[in-house]
Amino acid sequence: MKLNIVGKNIIRVDAQAKVTGKALYPQDIYLDNMVYGKTVRSTKPHAYIKIDISEAEKVDGVLKVFTYKDIPNKNAHGVVLKDHEAFASKKVIRIGEPIAFIVAETQKICEEAYKKIKIDYEEIPAVFDPVEAMKEDAPKVHGDSNIIYHFKLRHGDIEEGKRKSKYIVENIYKSPMVEHAFLQPEAGLGYLEEDGTVVVVIATQYPHYDREEVAINLGLPEEKVKIINTNVGGAFGGREDISAQIHLALAAMVLKRPVKVIFSREESFLAHSKRHPMIMKYKTGADENGYLQYMEAEIIGDSGAHCSWAMNVLRKAGVHATGPYVIPHVKVDAYAVYTNNPYTGAMRGFGATQVPIAHEQQMDALAEKLGMNPIEFRMKNIFRRGSMTATGQILTDSVPLDRCLEAVDERFKFSQLWKEVK
Amino acid sequence: MKKRGIGVGLSFYGTGYGNGFPDISRAIVRLLPGGRIGIYCGVTEVGQGAKTAMIQIGAETLGVTEKDIDLIHEDTSLMPDSGTAAATRQTYNTGNAIKVACQNMREKLFEKAKVELGLNSTAGLALEKGEVVLSFFPQKRISFKRLSEIYKDETIEAEGEFVAQTTTMDPDTGQGAPYWPYTFNACAVEVEVDMNTGIVNLLRAVFAQDAGRAVNPHLLEGQMDGGFAMALGYTLFEDLKLENGVIKNNRFSKYLIPTAMDMIDVENIIIEDPENTAPYGAKGIGEPVMIPIAPAILNAIYNAIGIRITELPVTPEKLMKAIREAEVNN
Amino acid sequence: MVNINFTVNGKPYEISIDENMRLIDVLRDELGLIGTKEGCGEGECGACTIIMDGETVNSCLVMGFQADGSNIVTIEGLEKDGQLHPVQRAYMEAGAVQCGFCIPGMVLSTKALLDKNPSPSDEEIREGISGNLCRCTGYNKMLIATKKAIEYMKGE
Repeated sequence: MKLNIVGKNIIRVDAQAKVTGKALYPQDIYLDNMVYGKTVRSTKPHAYIKIDISEAEKVDGVLKVFTYKDIPNKNAHGVVLKDHEAFASKKVIRIGEPIAFIVAETQKICEEAYKKIKIDYEEIPAVFDPVEAMKEDAPKVHGDSNIIYHFKLRHGDIEEGKRKSKYIVENIYKSPMVEHAFLQPEAGLGYLEEDGTVVVVIATQYPHYDREEVAINLGLPEEKVKIINTNVGGAFGGREDISAQIHLALAAMVLKRPVKVIFSREESFLAHSKRHPMIMKYKTGADENGYLQYMEAEIIGDSGAHCSWAMNVLRKAGVHATGPYVIPHVKVDAYAVYTNNPYTGAMRGFGATQVPIAHEQQMDALAEKLGMNPIEFRMKNIFRRGSMTATGQILTDSVPLDRCLEAVDERFKFSQLWKEVK
Repeated sequence: MKKRGIGVGLSFYGTGYGNGFPDISRAIVRLLPGGRIGIYCGVTEVGQGAKTAMIQIGAETLGVTEKDIDLIHEDTSLMPDSGTAAATRQTYNTGNAIKVACQNMREKLFEKAKVELGLNSTAGLALEKGEVVLSFFPQKRISFKRLSEIYKDETIEAEGEFVAQTTTMDPDTGQGAPYWPYTFNACAVEVEVDMNTGIVNLLRAVFAQDAGRAVNPHLLEGQMDGGFAMALGYTLFEDLKLENGVIKNNRFSKYLIPTAMDMIDVENIIIEDPENTAPYGAKGIGEPVMIPIAPAILNAIYNAIGIRITELPVTPEKLMKAIREAEVNN
Repeated sequence: MVNINFTVNGKPYEISIDENMRLIDVLRDELGLIGTKEGCGEGECGACTIIMDGETVNSCLVMGFQADGSNIVTIEGLEKDGQLHPVQRAYMEAGAVQCGFCIPGMVLSTKALLDKNPSPSDEEIREGISGNLCRCTGYNKMLIATKKAIEYMKGE
């Protein structure tokens, strides 16, 4: 196929605006008659709350302090389960959960009012360890179980796999909670158009999702909500959940003035999701000829206080738990668990970035037992066109993993170096 | 004392929402005044280069250059929903929707050109540099600009939609086709471990990424470098420290991410193997580019010092502890 | 309130500001120079980098009144006669731009580096931009861009 544009190194269409400083992010937009917002967030991981905003609202220049009482319709959002409240009503379940939104003439007045918000926390037992959280007597974050999701993968016959495995390696791997650390902290504006349409200007990964949540929480038809997505200063999964969208829309709708909010870096750390830390118990076996025979894995992911994408992330971890290898007998159990930790969600790789810490070290450990070069061992077992994955899916199209590995081996001279070291 | 070692890591990555969930992208293409092409599509540019890649796919399909296209992708009231900029799905899913919309637009333009050129059929018409041309008698041609003038009171537009094919997995066995397509990669690194300080230095890295087809190789290499850097932080130092639900390192002076001094030159190799269901064969690579790096580094550390580190990040403290434990056990 | 006199991008200003105002707020809120970005507010990320009397500074760590009498260059001041600065052009051409939030600061740090050291080594380039965090690019295209800029500046 002769292509004219696809495949060419054309200069990014947004590059010039970005190198000249003209590209606008939400914090760069200033509107006439604009006021500022500040989010009040929980400082306790698990507590019943009583909120007193009366002193804060008396501060000169404060227009209003919004709380759950001001949400016109449904005080609930979330990409899968609606388990985030736009404002915590009775109970906070993590540090950083929004409780109120102060709107004032200046940022300085917001800060002043912030000090006058009184929140009475009645702390209750919390749970921070996902393994503890899975136990029946653990404090519950939502409902009557902390286990959000259990993904089961059963392929072939594990006992047969064990019998056929001359070499078995076993280990427990752990991955940390990670921050997206995109450079542009969350910021946004809300304003009303003449016909009453509520506009939210924000940097988001999915404007139509934001529109839906704003409409539901505010009780508006979707046509009366407009999301303007500016330049986005990095996302990596951290801008998939709602941050300030509902607060800004609500404030603009009620106050009929443009409202702007800018999160500090510290607030940004509190506001968005994180990468799921995972505990991954692995057993992997190969026969005497170096062919993989079985793999058994148990994966526990800490979802923190909200589900966000936990089901999808643990599902992705479970599906990708084998690595890109043909393994005839596989058993995987992956669990997503609520705790009172900061909530976790999407981050680049989405569960598939955690499991290779385990499966790739298992591969090297098996190769060592077999006395094989790690590339030679992988070449015997990798997915190729026509291979079947552990979910029974057949890879019928583009599967150039062998070419990737060969290219790396050739450029790096891996096999040659390996031989020399031996 | 410093010890060196080499290691390799592989990964695969399934694109899209997955598990049979409706994963739909939509685009509308419209002929604008002056003969420009407007693509209206809820594709989000988060820095990954989606805006440029989508314009390249549209330009290719309509036989124009990237400069002839306006992508309208900021305002929900002007553009159709194209799903989230996540799950490595924009190039594949939304790229497909844009390609379909542009192919439909091509038919619309052919119909108008047939009328204006006084032809009996659209057979043999082609698009070439902003014009509709009868390929076997090229004197018969009309520009998009001219068409936009003639039809200034009529909207010439076409829609495109792409729905990814996945199936729901069986809840008891996990059997099913949860994602499509899959993207593959491999990485090899050489490290040097300082046995006295526990510091791991990267010396060399070769990284091969399957892209199906590279829409824009520079952008793709930029993603590979960026994914490598993010993985480097993930492997060696990034760790959100919690104490009873409190984030202890909630700022950049306490939560360190890689600087230019931490990064090394990565020898990037793009592997092309066009995927038949993808727009011009192009698969997404945004997430996969960070995945095989950490295991390659971990395997290289083992190769250097004979100790398997099972918990990330591999901080100097953690490594020194492991080295001392190994000494005691021996 | 305090009065300050300073030059920004070649233009003299005399303004009255709150003494608690940081320089970044003066530039963004008072002068409308929104190309200067705030990423952390503690001088760690370099997104707010500007050039002040020839030296790069984090404008979030400088008080507005400290700019009195100074000569400041922000990203808006790099273009000359409608032409991009060679560093800007090189960043575009090398594909060194992704989300773009770090780019104004990064470009200014690169320019300041090349003003002092017209032919830096790779190590010196890495060091020169090490005060500017970027989460997207992995910095390597920025090295390529800097080398391209060196060539362009030689040709000028």
